[in-house]
Amino acid sequence: MSLILRRVSITIILLLIISPVLLASSVQQETQESSAEQQESEGSSIDVMGKVSDHNYFETPFGYIQLPRIFLADGQFYFYPNTGAALASGDFVETEEGLIHSSGAPVILDLSITSHLIYVWLGLLLTFLITLWASRKYKSGNGRDTEPKGALLNTFEVLFVFIRDEIAKEFIPEKKYKKFVPYLFSIFMAIAFMNILGLMPWAAAATADITVTATLALITFMVTQLNGTKDHWRHVFVFPGVPAWSRIILTPVEILGLFTKPFALAIRLFANMLSGKIMIVSILGLIFIFTDMFGAAVGAGSGIFWVILTAALYFLKALVAFIQAYVFTLLSAVFIGMAVEEEEHDHEETSVARSRDVITQQ
Amino acid sequence: MGFLAAGLGAGIIALAAGFGIGMIGKSAVESIARQPEAAGDIRGAMLLTAVFIEGVALIGAIVCILLALGIGQ
Repeated sequence: MSLILRRVSITIILLLIISPVLLASSVQQETQESSAEQQESEGSSIDVMGKVSDHNYFETPFGYIQLPRIFLADGQFYFYPNTGAALASGDFVETEEGLIHSSGAPVILDLSITSHLIYVWLGLLLTFLITLWASRKYKSGNGRDTEPKGALLNTFEVLFVFIRDEIAKEFIPEKKYKKFVPYLFSIFMAIAFMNILGLMPWAAAATADITVTATLALITFMVTQLNGTKDHWRHVFVFPGVPAWSRIILTPVEILGLFTKPFALAIRLFANMLSGKIMIVSILGLIFIFTDMFGAAVGAGSGIFWVILTAALYFLKALVAFIQAYVFTLLSAVFIGMAVEEEEHDHEETSVARSRDVITQQ
Repeated sequence: MGFLAAGLGAGIIALAAGFGIGMIGKSAVESIARQPEAAGDIRGAMLLTAVFIEGVALIGAIVCILLALGIGQ
Protein backbone atom coordinates (compact mmCIF):
# COMPACT_ATOMS: atom_id res chain seq x y z
CA MET A 1 0.00 0.00 0.00
CA SER A 2 2.79 2.41 0.93
CA LEU A 3 4.54 1.46 -2.30
CA ILE A 4 1.52 2.54 -4.33
CA LEU A 5 1.27 5.76 -2.34
CA ARG A 6 4.93 6.47 -2.96
CA ARG A 7 4.51 5.82 -6.67
CA VAL A 8 1.50 8.09 -6.86
CA SER A 9 3.24 10.89 -5.01
CA ILE A 10 6.34 10.59 -7.19
CA THR A 11 4.17 10.73 -10.30
CA ILE A 12 2.38 13.83 -9.00
CA ILE A 13 5.66 15.57 -8.19
CA LEU A 14 7.03 14.70 -11.64
CA LEU A 15 3.87 16.00 -13.29
CA LEU A 16 3.99 19.20 -11.29
CA ILE A 17 7.60 19.78 -12.30
CA ILE A 18 7.03 18.90 -15.93
CA SER A 19 3.91 20.99 -16.44
CA PRO A 20 5.68 24.35 -15.90
CA VAL A 21 8.23 23.28 -18.50
CA LEU A 22 5.40 22.58 -20.93
CA LEU A 23 3.93 25.95 -20.07
CA ALA A 24 7.32 27.54 -20.67
CA SER A 25 7.52 26.01 -24.10
CA SER A 26 4.07 27.29 -24.99
CA VAL A 27 5.00 30.76 -23.71
CA GLN A 28 8.10 30.64 -25.87
CA GLN A 29 6.06 29.55 -28.87
CA GLU A 30 3.72 32.46 -28.36
CA THR A 31 6.65 34.83 -27.92
CA GLN A 32 8.11 33.72 -31.22
CA GLU A 33 4.78 34.05 -32.95
CA SER A 34 4.11 37.50 -31.59
CA SER A 35 7.67 38.67 -32.27
CA ALA A 36 7.35 37.42 -35.83
CA GLU A 37 4.14 39.34 -36.18
CA GLN A 38 5.33 42.54 -34.59
CA GLN A 39 8.77 43.03 -36.00
CA GLU A 40 8.33 46.78 -35.91
CA SER A 41 7.70 46.90 -32.14
CA GLU A 42 10.77 46.80 -29.95
CA GLY A 43 11.81 43.44 -28.57
CA SER A 44 9.55 40.45 -28.18
CA SER A 45 6.54 40.58 -25.93
CA ILE A 46 4.92 37.88 -23.86
CA ASP A 47 1.17 37.92 -24.09
CA VAL A 48 0.38 37.50 -20.39
CA MET A 49 -3.26 38.51 -20.68
CA GLY A 50 -3.68 36.28 -23.74
CA LYS A 51 -2.89 33.30 -21.52
CA VAL A 52 -5.77 34.06 -19.18
CA SER A 53 -8.31 35.61 -21.55
CA ASP A 54 -11.03 33.88 -23.48
CA HIS A 55 -10.40 32.56 -27.00
CA ASN A 56 -12.40 31.27 -29.91
CA TYR A 57 -10.19 28.22 -30.13
CA PHE A 58 -9.68 25.31 -27.77
CA GLU A 59 -6.06 24.65 -26.95
CA THR A 60 -4.89 21.04 -26.66
CA PRO A 61 -1.37 19.64 -26.42
CA PHE A 62 -1.66 18.66 -30.07
CA GLY A 63 -2.79 21.97 -31.51
CA TYR A 64 -5.73 24.30 -31.67
CA ILE A 65 -9.35 23.32 -32.29
CA GLN A 66 -11.38 26.15 -33.77
CA LEU A 67 -14.74 26.55 -32.05
CA PRO A 68 -18.11 27.46 -33.59
CA ARG A 69 -19.14 31.08 -33.90
CA ILE A 70 -22.76 32.08 -33.39
CA PHE A 71 -23.89 35.66 -33.96
CA LEU A 72 -27.13 37.56 -33.82
CA ALA A 73 -26.71 40.52 -36.15
CA ASP A 74 -29.10 42.40 -38.39
CA GLY A 75 -32.05 40.53 -36.84
CA GLN A 76 -30.78 37.17 -37.95
CA PHE A 77 -28.77 34.30 -36.52
CA TYR A 78 -25.54 33.19 -38.17
CA PHE A 79 -23.85 29.87 -37.48
CA TYR A 80 -20.30 29.04 -38.55
CA PRO A 81 -18.15 26.04 -37.65
CA ASN A 82 -15.19 28.34 -36.96
CA THR A 83 -13.83 31.86 -37.32
CA GLY A 84 -12.33 31.13 -40.74
CA ALA A 85 -15.69 30.04 -42.12
CA ALA A 86 -17.31 33.21 -40.78
CA LEU A 87 -14.74 35.30 -42.62
CA ALA A 88 -14.94 33.20 -45.79
CA SER A 89 -18.72 33.60 -46.01
CA GLY A 90 -18.24 37.33 -46.51
CA ASP A 91 -20.92 38.28 -43.98
CA PHE A 92 -18.39 39.23 -41.32
CA VAL A 93 -15.17 41.21 -41.41
CA GLU A 94 -12.38 41.20 -38.87
CA THR A 95 -11.58 44.38 -36.95
CA GLU A 96 -9.55 45.33 -33.91
CA GLU A 97 -12.49 44.54 -31.62
CA GLY A 98 -13.34 41.17 -33.13
CA LEU A 99 -15.74 40.32 -35.91
CA ILE A 100 -18.41 42.74 -37.13
CA HIS A 101 -21.10 42.36 -39.74
CA SER A 102 -19.94 43.42 -43.19
CA SER A 103 -22.93 45.74 -43.63
CA GLY A 104 -21.74 47.68 -40.59
CA ALA A 105 -24.64 46.53 -38.42
CA PRO A 106 -23.48 45.82 -34.86
CA VAL A 107 -23.38 42.27 -33.56
CA ILE A 108 -26.23 42.30 -31.05
CA LEU A 109 -25.46 38.95 -29.46
CA ASP A 110 -22.24 36.99 -29.69
CA LEU A 111 -23.12 33.46 -28.57
CA SER A 112 -19.88 31.96 -29.87
CA ILE A 113 -18.59 28.89 -28.04
CA THR A 114 -15.35 29.89 -26.34
CA SER A 115 -12.60 28.00 -24.57
CA HIS A 116 -13.77 29.06 -21.11
CA LEU A 117 -17.27 27.87 -21.89
CA ILE A 118 -15.87 24.47 -22.84
CA TYR A 119 -14.14 24.25 -19.47
CA VAL A 120 -17.33 25.27 -17.65
CA TRP A 121 -19.15 22.49 -19.47
CA LEU A 122 -16.38 20.03 -18.65
CA GLY A 123 -16.54 20.96 -14.97
CA LEU A 124 -20.32 20.62 -14.86
CA LEU A 125 -20.23 17.36 -16.83
CA LEU A 126 -17.66 15.82 -14.47
CA THR A 127 -19.72 16.89 -11.44
CA PHE A 128 -22.86 15.46 -13.01
CA LEU A 129 -21.27 12.15 -13.96
CA ILE A 130 -19.53 11.59 -10.64
CA THR A 131 -22.65 12.45 -8.66
CA LEU A 132 -24.80 10.23 -10.85
CA TRP A 133 -22.31 7.39 -10.55
CA ALA A 134 -22.13 7.73 -6.77
CA SER A 135 -25.90 7.88 -6.37
CA ARG A 136 -26.25 4.66 -8.38
CA LYS A 137 -23.66 3.03 -6.12
CA TYR A 138 -25.57 4.11 -3.04
CA LYS A 139 -28.87 2.91 -4.49
CA SER A 140 -27.37 -0.51 -5.11
CA GLY A 141 -26.45 -0.66 -1.43
CA ASN A 142 -22.71 0.00 -1.62
CA GLY A 143 -21.95 2.49 1.10
CA ARG A 144 -25.42 2.41 2.61
CA ASP A 145 -25.74 -1.17 3.80
CA THR A 146 -22.00 -1.78 3.83
CA GLU A 147 -18.97 0.44 4.07
CA PRO A 148 -18.23 2.35 0.85
CA LYS A 149 -15.86 0.38 -1.37
CA GLY A 150 -13.29 1.92 -3.65
CA ALA A 151 -11.12 5.02 -3.42
CA LEU A 152 -13.39 7.22 -5.54
CA LEU A 153 -16.54 6.44 -3.56
CA ASN A 154 -14.70 6.99 -0.30
CA THR A 155 -13.41 10.36 -1.51
CA PHE A 156 -16.90 11.26 -2.65
CA GLU A 157 -18.35 10.39 0.73
CA VAL A 158 -15.70 12.37 2.61
CA LEU A 159 -16.37 15.45 0.48
CA PHE A 160 -20.13 15.11 0.69
CA VAL A 161 -20.17 14.63 4.45
CA PHE A 162 -17.79 17.57 4.81
CA ILE A 163 -20.08 19.87 2.81
CA ARG A 164 -23.15 18.64 4.68
CA ASP A 165 -21.81 18.71 8.23
CA GLU A 166 -19.17 21.41 8.23
CA ILE A 167 -20.80 23.89 5.86
CA ALA A 168 -24.55 23.34 5.46
CA LYS A 169 -25.42 22.17 8.98
CA GLU A 170 -23.12 24.73 10.53
CA PHE A 171 -24.49 27.86 8.88
CA ILE A 172 -28.04 27.02 7.80
CA PRO A 173 -30.73 26.46 10.48
CA GLU A 174 -31.22 22.85 11.42
CA LYS A 175 -34.73 22.52 9.96
CA LYS A 176 -33.93 23.80 6.50
CA TYR A 177 -30.37 22.83 5.67
CA LYS A 178 -31.27 19.63 3.82
CA LYS A 179 -32.82 21.56 0.96
CA PHE A 180 -29.57 23.36 0.17
CA VAL A 181 -27.05 20.53 0.49
CA PRO A 182 -27.39 19.46 -3.20
CA TYR A 183 -26.84 23.01 -4.41
CA LEU A 184 -23.85 23.60 -2.14
CA PHE A 185 -22.28 20.27 -3.01
CA SER A 186 -22.69 20.69 -6.76
CA ILE A 187 -21.33 24.25 -6.73
CA PHE A 188 -18.35 23.06 -4.68
CA MET A 189 -17.60 20.19 -7.05
CA ALA A 190 -18.08 22.31 -10.18
CA ILE A 191 -15.78 25.09 -8.98
CA ALA A 192 -13.18 22.61 -7.76
CA PHE A 193 -13.21 20.79 -11.12
CA MET A 194 -12.96 24.05 -13.08
CA ASN A 195 -10.04 25.19 -10.92
CA ILE A 196 -8.25 21.85 -11.18
CA LEU A 197 -8.74 21.67 -14.95
CA GLY A 198 -7.13 25.11 -15.12
CA LEU A 199 -3.93 23.64 -13.67
CA MET A 200 -3.19 21.83 -16.93
CA PRO A 201 -0.50 23.86 -18.71
CA TRP A 202 -2.41 24.32 -21.93
CA ALA A 203 -5.77 24.83 -20.27
CA ALA A 204 -7.41 27.94 -18.90
CA ALA A 205 -9.21 28.05 -15.58
CA ALA A 206 -12.79 28.93 -16.44
CA THR A 207 -13.11 30.55 -13.02
CA ALA A 208 -10.43 33.09 -14.03
CA ASP A 209 -13.18 34.69 -16.12
CA ILE A 210 -15.38 37.29 -14.44
CA THR A 211 -18.44 36.25 -16.47
CA VAL A 212 -18.24 32.68 -15.15
CA THR A 213 -17.82 33.69 -11.50
CA ALA A 214 -20.50 36.37 -11.86
CA THR A 215 -22.91 33.74 -13.17
CA LEU A 216 -22.13 31.46 -10.24
CA ALA A 217 -22.59 34.34 -7.81
CA LEU A 218 -25.85 35.27 -9.52
CA ILE A 219 -27.15 31.74 -8.97
CA THR A 220 -26.27 32.00 -5.28
CA PHE A 221 -27.96 35.40 -5.17
CA MET A 222 -31.14 33.97 -6.69
CA VAL A 223 -31.16 30.98 -4.34
CA THR A 224 -30.63 33.31 -1.39
CA GLN A 225 -33.33 35.82 -2.28
CA LEU A 226 -35.94 33.32 -3.47
CA ASN A 227 -35.66 31.47 -0.17
CA GLY A 228 -35.66 34.63 1.93
CA THR A 229 -38.08 34.54 4.83
CA LYS A 230 -40.30 37.35 6.06
CA ASP A 231 -37.71 38.12 8.71
CA HIS A 232 -35.01 38.47 6.07
CA TRP A 233 -36.97 41.12 4.17
CA ARG A 234 -37.97 42.85 7.38
CA HIS A 235 -34.31 43.01 8.27
CA VAL A 236 -33.60 44.67 4.92
CA PHE A 237 -36.38 47.23 4.71
CA VAL A 238 -37.38 47.87 8.32
CA PHE A 239 -34.38 47.17 10.49
CA PRO A 240 -35.73 46.05 13.86
CA GLY A 241 -34.80 47.70 17.11
CA VAL A 242 -33.33 50.98 15.95
CA PRO A 243 -34.69 54.56 16.11
CA ALA A 244 -36.97 55.37 13.17
CA TRP A 245 -34.82 58.18 11.74
CA SER A 246 -31.73 55.98 11.40
CA ARG A 247 -33.64 53.75 8.97
CA ILE A 248 -33.16 56.49 6.35
CA ILE A 249 -29.49 55.47 6.30
CA LEU A 250 -29.84 51.80 7.22
CA THR A 251 -32.35 50.78 4.55
CA PRO A 252 -30.24 51.92 1.55
CA VAL A 253 -27.17 50.35 3.12
CA GLU A 254 -29.01 47.06 3.64
CA ILE A 255 -30.35 47.09 0.07
CA LEU A 256 -26.84 47.80 -1.20
CA GLY A 257 -25.60 44.99 1.01
CA LEU A 258 -27.83 42.53 -0.84
CA PHE A 259 -25.87 43.19 -4.03
CA THR A 260 -22.36 43.67 -2.66
CA LYS A 261 -22.38 40.15 -1.21
CA PRO A 262 -22.62 38.30 -4.55
CA PHE A 263 -20.37 40.94 -6.12
CA ALA A 264 -17.62 40.25 -3.61
CA LEU A 265 -18.21 36.52 -4.07
CA ALA A 266 -17.62 36.81 -7.82
CA ILE A 267 -14.60 39.11 -7.54
CA ARG A 268 -12.94 36.93 -4.90
CA LEU A 269 -12.97 33.75 -6.96
CA PHE A 270 -12.10 35.57 -10.18
CA ALA A 271 -9.14 37.51 -8.77
CA ASN A 272 -7.70 34.50 -6.95
CA MET A 273 -7.68 32.30 -10.02
CA LEU A 274 -6.52 35.08 -12.34
CA SER A 275 -3.62 36.13 -10.14
CA GLY A 276 -2.29 32.57 -9.90
CA LYS A 277 -2.09 32.17 -13.66
CA ILE A 278 -0.65 35.66 -14.23
CA MET A 279 1.99 35.01 -11.58
CA ILE A 280 3.10 31.74 -13.19
CA VAL A 281 3.22 33.16 -16.71
CA SER A 282 5.09 36.24 -15.46
CA ILE A 283 7.71 34.21 -13.59
CA LEU A 284 8.25 31.92 -16.57
CA GLY A 285 8.38 35.01 -18.77
CA LEU A 286 11.40 36.15 -16.75
CA ILE A 287 13.41 33.37 -18.45
CA PHE A 288 12.84 35.01 -21.82
CA ILE A 289 13.33 38.51 -20.47
CA PHE A 290 16.70 37.41 -19.04
CA THR A 291 17.60 35.75 -22.33
CA ASP A 292 16.80 38.97 -24.12
CA MET A 293 18.83 41.09 -21.72
CA PHE A 294 21.87 38.95 -20.85
CA GLY A 295 22.02 36.23 -23.47
CA ALA A 296 20.91 32.64 -23.72
CA ALA A 297 23.31 31.22 -21.11
CA VAL A 298 22.01 33.40 -18.28
CA GLY A 299 18.46 32.81 -19.43
CA ALA A 300 18.88 29.03 -19.40
CA GLY A 301 20.81 29.06 -16.11
CA SER A 302 18.26 31.16 -14.26
CA GLY A 303 15.55 29.07 -15.90
CA ILE A 304 16.27 26.22 -13.49
CA PHE A 305 15.49 28.51 -10.57
CA TRP A 306 12.31 29.91 -12.13
CA VAL A 307 11.01 26.46 -13.02
CA ILE A 308 11.50 25.25 -9.44
CA LEU A 309 9.75 28.38 -8.18
CA THR A 310 6.90 27.74 -10.60
CA ALA A 311 6.63 24.14 -9.42
CA ALA A 312 6.25 25.46 -5.87
CA LEU A 313 3.62 27.90 -7.10
CA TYR A 314 1.79 25.00 -8.72
CA PHE A 315 1.47 23.31 -5.34
CA LEU A 316 0.09 26.55 -3.97
CA LYS A 317 -2.34 26.81 -6.87
CA ALA A 318 -3.55 23.25 -6.36
CA LEU A 319 -4.24 24.17 -2.74
CA VAL A 320 -5.88 27.47 -3.66
CA ALA A 321 -8.12 25.66 -6.15
CA PHE A 322 -9.75 23.72 -3.31
CA ILE A 323 -9.66 26.56 -0.79
CA GLN A 324 -11.48 28.89 -3.15
CA ALA A 325 -14.11 26.28 -3.96
CA TYR A 326 -14.54 25.79 -0.21
CA VAL A 327 -14.72 29.53 0.45
CA PHE A 328 -17.31 30.08 -2.28
CA THR A 329 -19.45 27.27 -0.89
CA LEU A 330 -18.97 28.46 2.68
CA LEU A 331 -20.03 32.02 1.90
CA SER A 332 -22.98 30.80 -0.17
CA ALA A 333 -24.06 28.79 2.86
CA VAL A 334 -23.60 31.77 5.16
CA PHE A 335 -25.69 34.05 2.93
CA ILE A 336 -28.39 31.42 2.47
CA GLY A 337 -28.39 30.78 6.20
CA MET A 338 -28.88 34.49 6.90
CA ALA A 339 -31.78 34.68 4.46
CA VAL A 340 -33.69 31.59 5.59
CA GLU A 341 -33.21 32.18 9.28
CA GLU A 342 -36.37 32.84 11.23
CA GLU A 343 -35.97 35.01 14.24
CA GLU A 344 -36.23 33.09 17.45
CA HIS A 345 -37.82 35.24 20.06
CA ASP A 346 -36.11 33.61 22.99
CA HIS A 347 -32.85 35.19 21.73
CA GLU A 348 -30.89 32.01 21.52
CA GLU A 349 -27.39 32.65 20.18
CA THR A 350 -27.10 30.42 17.15
CA SER A 351 -24.06 30.10 14.97
CA VAL A 352 -26.03 31.82 12.24
CA ALA A 353 -26.60 34.86 14.40
CA ARG A 354 -22.93 34.93 15.25
CA SER A 355 -21.89 34.81 11.63
CA ARG A 356 -24.35 37.60 10.87
CA ASP A 357 -22.61 39.73 13.49
CA VAL A 358 -19.29 39.14 11.78
CA ILE A 359 -20.74 40.24 8.47
CA THR A 360 -22.49 43.34 9.80
CA GLN A 361 -19.29 44.45 11.41
CA GLN A 362 -17.47 44.00 8.16
CA MET B 1 0.95 57.56 -14.20
CA GLY B 2 -1.28 54.52 -14.43
CA PHE B 3 1.66 52.23 -13.68
CA LEU B 4 2.73 54.38 -10.73
CA ALA B 5 -0.78 54.34 -9.31
CA ALA B 6 -1.07 50.59 -9.82
CA GLY B 7 2.27 49.89 -8.17
CA LEU B 8 1.57 52.12 -5.19
CA GLY B 9 -1.93 50.70 -4.88
CA ALA B 10 -0.70 47.11 -4.96
CA GLY B 11 1.85 47.91 -2.26
CA ILE B 12 -0.70 49.54 0.01
CA ILE B 13 -3.15 46.70 -0.52
CA ALA B 14 -0.52 44.11 0.37
CA LEU B 15 0.40 46.12 3.46
CA ALA B 16 -3.17 46.54 4.67
CA ALA B 17 -4.31 43.00 3.89
CA GLY B 18 -1.18 41.57 5.47
CA PHE B 19 -1.77 43.62 8.60
CA GLY B 20 -5.42 42.58 8.79
CA ILE B 21 -4.79 38.88 8.26
CA GLY B 22 -1.84 39.06 10.65
CA MET B 23 -4.14 40.43 13.33
CA ILE B 24 -6.60 37.61 12.76
CA GLY B 25 -3.83 35.02 12.90
CA LYS B 26 -2.45 36.52 16.09
CA SER B 27 -5.79 36.52 17.86
CA ALA B 28 -6.65 33.05 16.62
CA VAL B 29 -3.36 31.53 17.76
CA GLU B 30 -3.67 33.26 21.13
CA SER B 31 -7.22 31.99 21.57
CA ILE B 32 -6.24 28.46 20.60
CA ALA B 33 -3.35 28.57 23.05
CA ARG B 34 -5.71 29.74 25.78
CA GLN B 35 -8.48 27.29 24.93
CA PRO B 36 -7.17 24.38 22.82
CA GLU B 37 -10.49 22.50 22.96
CA ALA B 38 -12.19 25.29 20.96
CA ALA B 39 -9.62 25.10 18.15
CA GLY B 40 -12.15 23.91 15.56
CA ASP B 41 -14.61 26.75 16.13
CA ILE B 42 -11.84 29.32 16.23
CA ARG B 43 -10.37 28.03 12.98
CA GLY B 44 -13.74 28.37 11.25
CA ALA B 45 -14.27 31.92 12.49
CA MET B 46 -10.69 32.81 11.55
CA LEU B 47 -11.14 31.55 7.99
CA LEU B 48 -14.44 33.37 7.58
CA THR B 49 -12.99 36.69 8.71
CA ALA B 50 -9.81 36.27 6.67
CA VAL B 51 -11.94 35.63 3.61
CA PHE B 52 -13.72 38.97 4.04
CA ILE B 53 -10.43 40.84 4.26
CA GLU B 54 -9.20 38.96 1.23
CA GLY B 55 -12.31 39.99 -0.70
CA VAL B 56 -11.74 43.68 -0.03
CA ALA B 57 -8.03 43.34 -0.87
CA LEU B 58 -8.81 41.61 -4.13
CA ILE B 59 -11.24 44.33 -5.20
CA GLY B 60 -8.32 46.74 -4.73
CA ALA B 61 -6.06 44.41 -6.70
CA ILE B 62 -8.54 44.37 -9.58
CA VAL B 63 -8.56 48.18 -9.62
CA CYS B 64 -4.75 48.06 -9.83
CA ILE B 65 -4.86 45.61 -12.73
CA LEU B 66 -7.33 47.86 -14.56
CA LEU B 67 -5.07 50.87 -13.92
CA ALA B 68 -1.97 49.06 -15.16
CA LEU B 69 -3.74 47.89 -18.30
CA GLY B 70 -5.05 51.39 -18.94
CA ILE B 71 -8.65 50.24 -19.21
CA GLY B 72 -11.17 53.04 -18.91
CA GLN B 73 -8.95 55.82 -20.20
